[in-house]
Amino acid sequence: MKVKVISRSVDDFTRERSQDLQRVFRNYDPSLRTQEKAVEYVRALNAVKLDKIFARPFIGAMDGHIDGVSCMAKNPTQLKWIFSGAMDGDIRLWDIASRRTVCQFPGHQGAIRGLTVSTDGRMLVSCGTDCTVRLWNASADNLMELSNSTKNSVEPASVHVGKNAYLAVDHQWDSELFATAGAQVDIWNHNRSEPINSFQWGSDSVISVRFNPGEPNLLATSANDRSIMLYDLRMVSPVRKMIMMTKTNSIAWNPMEPINFTAANEDGNCYSYDARKLDEAKCVHRDHVSAVMDIDYSPTGREFVTGSYDRTVRLFYYNSGHSREIYHTKRMQRVFCVKFSGDGSYVISGSDDTNLRLWKAKASEQLGVVLPRERKKHEYHAAIKKRYMHLPEVKRIERHRHLPKPIYKAAALMRAMSDAKKRKEERRKAHSAPGSVTTQPLRRRRIIKEVE
Amino acid sequence: MRMTGDAADDDSSEEGDGRHTRMLQGITGMPSEAFEGKKKRKMKDDGIPELYPESEYNPSRDVVDGDGQISIDDLLNPLQDNPGFGKLRKRIQQIENNSKAIHAPLRTADQAKVERKAAYEISKKEVTKWQQIIQRNREAPTLLFDENIDLGFSTVGAIASEFEPRTEFERKMAALVSDDKVMEAYKKDGSRLLEMNTVSVEEEKDRQSRIAKMRSLLFRHELKAKRIKKIKSKTYHRLLKKDRLKTEYSKIQMDPEVAKEFAMKQERLRAEERMTLRHKNQNRWAKRILTRGLNSQDEGTRAAIAEQLQRHSELTRKMHSMKDSSSSSDGDDEDAGSDQDMGSKVLGKAIEKTMKVIQDDDETPKSGLLSLPFMRRGLEKNKAAAIEEANLALQEYKDSKKKLENSVGSEGPEATSISGRRVFGASKTQISDAGNKVKSDYNYGSSDSEDDLRASKNGNIETQRSNILQKDVNTDPVLIQEDTDNHQESVFKDFNEIVKNPGPKTTYEVSLFVSDTWKKAGNRDEKGTNVKKSAMPSGSVRQDRKDTEKEVEEDSDTDSEGQMVDRILTSGSKLSYELPSQEELIRQAFAGDDLEDEFEKDKMEILNAENPEPEKPVLLPGWGQWTHVQKKKGLPSWMLKEHENAWKKREEAIKKRKDAQLKNVIISEKLDKKAEKLHTKALPFPFTSKEAFEQSMRVPIGPESNPATAIGALNRPEVVKRPGVIIKPIQFEEVNPHEKPEERRGDKHRSKKNKGSGGRSMKKTSA
Repeated sequence: MKVKVISRSVDDFTRERSQDLQRVFRNYDPSLRTQEKAVEYVRALNAVKLDKIFARPFIGAMDGHIDGVSCMAKNPTQLKWIFSGAMDGDIRLWDIASRRTVCQFPGHQGAIRGLTVSTDGRMLVSCGTDCTVRLWNASADNLMELSNSTKNSVEPASVHVGKNAYLAVDHQWDSELFATAGAQVDIWNHNRSEPINSFQWGSDSVISVRFNPGEPNLLATSANDRSIMLYDLRMVSPVRKMIMMTKTNSIAWNPMEPINFTAANEDGNCYSYDARKLDEAKCVHRDHVSAVMDIDYSPTGREFVTGSYDRTVRLFYYNSGHSREIYHTKRMQRVFCVKFSGDGSYVISGSDDTNLRLWKAKASEQLGVVLPRERKKHEYHAAIKKRYMHLPEVKRIERHRHLPKPIYKAAALMRAMSDAKKRKEERRKAHSAPGSVTTQPLRRRRIIKEVE
Repeated sequence: MRMTGDAADDDSSEEGDGRHTRMLQGITGMPSEAFEGKKKRKMKDDGIPELYPESEYNPSRDVVDGDGQISIDDLLNPLQDNPGFGKLRKRIQQIENNSKAIHAPLRTADQAKVERKAAYEISKKEVTKWQQIIQRNREAPTLLFDENIDLGFSTVGAIASEFEPRTEFERKMAALVSDDKVMEAYKKDGSRLLEMNTVSVEEEKDRQSRIAKMRSLLFRHELKAKRIKKIKSKTYHRLLKKDRLKTEYSKIQMDPEVAKEFAMKQERLRAEERMTLRHKNQNRWAKRILTRGLNSQDEGTRAAIAEQLQRHSELTRKMHSMKDSSSSSDGDDEDAGSDQDMGSKVLGKAIEKTMKVIQDDDETPKSGLLSLPFMRRGLEKNKAAAIEEANLALQEYKDSKKKLENSVGSEGPEATSISGRRVFGASKTQISDAGNKVKSDYNYGSSDSEDDLRASKNGNIETQRSNILQKDVNTDPVLIQEDTDNHQESVFKDFNEIVKNPGPKTTYEVSLFVSDTWKKAGNRDEKGTNVKKSAMPSGSVRQDRKDTEKEVEEDSDTDSEGQMVDRILTSGSKLSYELPSQEELIRQAFAGDDLEDEFEKDKMEILNAENPEPEKPVLLPGWGQWTHVQKKKGLPSWMLKEHENAWKKREEAIKKRKDAQLKNVIISEKLDKKAEKLHTKALPFPFTSKEAFEQSMRVPIGPESNPATAIGALNRPEVVKRPGVIIKPIQFEEVNPHEKPEERRGDKHRSKKNKGSGGRSMKKTSA
């Protein structure tokens, strides 16, 4: 006679340490678990709800400036330090961890319009409407010494005076060059008092400049003539210009995709372009109801943050038409500058109300040390959320955001206007000879022309 | 090389021409006529009349055509005498032989445009090298940004090898540990370690001072204890007591003497408990709660009651292990529990002990609390009760011993191993309960303890225990028999139940089935008869079963029933069996049934359910009118209108239905609102087909339905980064576009790091 018994090996059921988890043996046969999909759907729903519950994105404000914050720069080597410049000519270095000013950089007479730090973190470059470019020694040792001593202000290492006001500055990745923008685009070297190169194309002033971090010889600028220009330092010339219907306030290159950049436009949209095909935007990122003032890419290249004149900060995926997150507080005024932190998990915004604000990049992310089991749980939740995100209930909860009334109303108004426009166009099309009325896609509609 | 004069003279004017002639004269030294003559000749050749008189003011066609231009030869001729003329001439000839036309330069703006265009092309080309990398990263299921972080040492050994003593203590320890002599001695046998361990004067002094310190500490401790003793707080002392008990318990485990003392104390407590039954729900509180019902109490009370009972059972349980004299022998007994004569042995011992207890209990304390008169009286009373109990027990022991000797030797080990209350298991009580249930007409054989059994029913638990014990010991074969009887009866009961309850039900189902196959369902009368028919044989079966008391047949009772019913039914239909054609058969089968009408009715019902008829308007008195003076003219017009509209709407809805034109079909258009939550309205963006979308959610990814090894890959997020690690921008690396992602994973420098499925590392992080 054959006797069937359950046999279990001792090894499988013995823990090495008393803290180890007891092993659980499961039968993964799907026919035994017919309700698994339903269970996961409910879990996804719960995960989305939990996300809502835990969404506490605002970490804190950094108070200290006495005028609106106009620009910021992150130190590429130091995660917790950020420089900020204000409209009254005050430059401060903040310790994000303690949310305190480490030191100040006095000297500018007018508003600071541009700040940037060299890749090694040693040199801080500032420029402003007082027609000066100042270089500061911002190496960590130097500043640490300063923060320890009683005196907490720094003398500029060098001051370059120009003819016109400077409106923007950006540093090249891994080199000694930086570019300033104003009446023209100047390329400077740390060690020279004169610009080593200047570019002028058109007579309007250039308001923003950004080097491509992946392809360091490429830089993009935007000007008051509503144009976006590309430059190549190897060719020693501007390369291409594209004119849009509205001004571009800021540009950010995708750090992981050196051919793509996103332009923050005055019309409240952001336009992602391929530098090789400027006749059409790759993606139009809508949602802001007023001019987008600044934009910065996450170092992962998968999302970017925008600050707008409508007093909100929004986070977008690099390829999505609408924002995934909106941040606002009652006291935050017009946002002039935004930055992603170097590790991609925080967002810093500087606004007209003289404050810098620190936000989490993921609103419901758990801060601090996360245990492996916890992490696995979070990952699982994220995975099922992603899986069921298209189902109406999950989608509804995930998308729901409480908006300030003015923004809600403005958004509704804009929607109504665009709907009306669309309707009108459709009617016009319906009542005219086929093919005589064509509609441009939004990706192309706002572009006037590409200038060679 | 640049073109100088020619271009400027291209559009020659009259003055220019004059100047030209003059210049020619000056250079060549010939009169102007010579040039003019040349022109004339040419003109004659052409034969074209001149519009203007030939003069230096009217440029001839030659001049316009450039025939009159200065050639290089003209310029060279006067230089013939100069040295180096030949060389110059040769060069000029060379130039003339392979000369090319050179265009005019563009305007600076246009020139810049062209340059920019070219530069754009080049930089476009430069940038395109990123295409592959970008595409690869975009297609990757996961981007990893948390790699290449130097975490330092990975193993304990590596960390330990790097250890360097820093503090003084550490240095001292290191010096000792790494001392060669010590190491050697340790490695050999350790005897030399003793030799090395010589005590110096200083060390002795140290020791003495240490001891002095300890003494002073002790003194202080005593002082503290005194102070504590003075404290009057009850809570404090309760806690203290708790602590003390704890330490005592640990002491008991360590010291046999203390253990013995403890055992004595316990013994007394237990004796007291048995006498007073203090914890057996005797007090007023417990009684009150029991009368109120235990289930209606809150959790705390129930727990308290349970605890009390627990305490009682603990105290009344017989403990051999506590008695030092018999501990070892008891253990032996238990070991040899399966022996045949075990029971008698144990019983003998028990008798011995009880006798001893009875004799020992004579002595009474002469002093202390127990010497007080009322205490003494109480004790005596208790003692009397105890003795009585002991006597009773003694008698029982004797009885059981007798039984044991009488009974057959092959007794179950369960029965023999019983030697006290402690081992009294739950299974026995069950059996006894079952025995109580069994009617008294069952014969217990030659059991003398029948009376006792009766007594146990009265509820005296103490005696019941002993009785059951005795019974277990005595009447094992009887018990077995009884057990089987009981089983038989229960089975019998079960069977009865089956016959009573599910019997008709099964037959009903069978009949339904039969009627379904052979006749149209819904013929109620026939069904009824079927039920009756089936009920009859089941009844007979029941009787049969009552008569026979064999277990073998009981399994198949329901089956046989079903067969019977079938037989009856089939025999009825078999009588008129012919071989009709299929059509005829169908017609016969459905004769008299108006299926179409029925279907119509069904369809109408469904239609009405899905598009309900509007309610008839009802007039509520006083509603829709101003005063009672107004004459009522029936329903107000708006109501009628609304009603009419509702009808129209309904009709339209019915017309619009998918099955409106289909005669034999019902297509339900009812929407399940709950199910709708689980569907998307449109196909979501990245998916191109419904199947693909559904496929994406098909397999669960949870930890319950996937092994731990697979979960990581299933749940891995799109971007894996570590907070606090700065991510640097991408750097260029060559990518083979034709390489498969799997192959890439196999790369030597990546294979270690890439654990996930197709995970891509950005390789650009720094700690």
